[in-house]
Amino acid sequence: MRGGCEIRRARPLLGTLVEISAWGSEPAALRRAVDRAFNAIEVLQARLSAHDPASEVSRLNRDGHLGPVRVGRDLRRVLRAAARLSRLSEGAFDVTAAAGGASYRDVRLLPRSRVRYARALRIDLGGIAKGYCVDRAVAQLERCGVAGGLVNAGGDLRAFGARAFALQLRHPGDPRQLVDFGTIRDAALSTSASYATGRERCAGALRDGRSGAPLRPGVSVSVRASRALTADALTKVVAALGPRAAPLLARCRAHAWVMEAPCPAAE
Amino acid sequence: MRWIAAPLIVVSAPAYAVQYLSVQQAQAALFAPGTRFAPRPLELGDAQAQAIEQASGQRVRSRRPEIWQAFEGERPAGWLFVDQVIGKHEFITYALALGADGAVRGIEVMDYRETYGGEIRNASWRRQFAGKRQGDALKLGRDIRNITGATLSCRNVTNGVKRLLALYALVLK
Repeated sequence: MRGGCEIRRARPLLGTLVEISAWGSEPAALRRAVDRAFNAIEVLQARLSAHDPASEVSRLNRDGHLGPVRVGRDLRRVLRAAARLSRLSEGAFDVTAAAGGASYRDVRLLPRSRVRYARALRIDLGGIAKGYCVDRAVAQLERCGVAGGLVNAGGDLRAFGARAFALQLRHPGDPRQLVDFGTIRDAALSTSASYATGRERCAGALRDGRSGAPLRPGVSVSVRASRALTADALTKVVAALGPRAAPLLARCRAHAWVMEAPCPAAE
Repeated sequence: MRWIAAPLIVVSAPAYAVQYLSVQQAQAALFAPGTRFAPRPLELGDAQAQAIEQASGQRVRSRRPEIWQAFEGERPAGWLFVDQVIGKHEFITYALALGADGAVRGIEVMDYRETYGGEIRNASWRRQFAGKRQGDALKLGRDIRNITGATLSCRNVTNGVKRLLALYALVLK
């Protein structure tokens, strides 16, 4: 059902500007719902950031190898999803990628919401938590009775409701250029890329989960899936495996698009 | 699975902008209904600007910050700042609300503009807003572009907030 009122807000969160669009029938209720969705992201950010020493993830990183650590519902869900994607991708997706020598197999999910590390290691949920935050924001909006909308956290977005949203992607060789992607409806789209921009030319966030090596710059990978968490994580898998990611994409009912651009400065 | 081989043909869309909130709407979003806002004109002197820069590590670009003091009835309820930060390619106007105790109540982005050099003058992206006033129902997804794969960072806003908190502590408190 389409309502008669729409709002669009943005706040600095998750290291980017998170934008929430929502429509419904009652403006005050919409504003409240959007506020709550932003607040949900703020709470999750405080729990899941590896850069915040007070976060649940940081506590796990400090104590996980000493013995089982009890974790909350959100961290448990993200870790479980990460473990599944690591298994299915044979380690191309790995939240321990930044830690020398450790692998996802060293993160043991135990009964009763406890987690133990088999060795001292650090996880970083950067490749999956943003997607999860987007999913939770959407869930919060739906719980508040919002008819439809879009949560866009930079590279990770999810649309819900009846309407189709037209999307554009940045071109990896030149972020000034926007590429028409077409529309998505009731689905998530994540894009990970190493953009070539000015002095930071070719620096980017995409890394191979197994070697930790940065992937070739000037490449952008977009994945559409039903959930933003899945789409977010799968961009890293596709970036690392290329066409070999096809079976996993099929299994997750996801689709991938890859854009490549020559990046002369790096070659 | 579909693979699209590179390179893709790109559309010519040089920059991007979104307007979220007017000053009034930002005030309403960050404070309780019925709050009154009294402008607090301020011109920072050299010594004040320098002190703020020293305390925050951020450059003071504007000597005339936009500030309102919020009142619920006669009781001071806090402060509202409207500030702009400039990144390498982006220009962000945002509102920072502080409670009467100086604690951050909230931050709302008011508008976001992305520019690459001279392209700010090429206002093709602005046409999507033509005839739309703040508060008009935007037809999301049809009228207004949504971009994924954004490069933008909120670091500049975070730094702006640091600067405003230093201003508050040194000048308003």
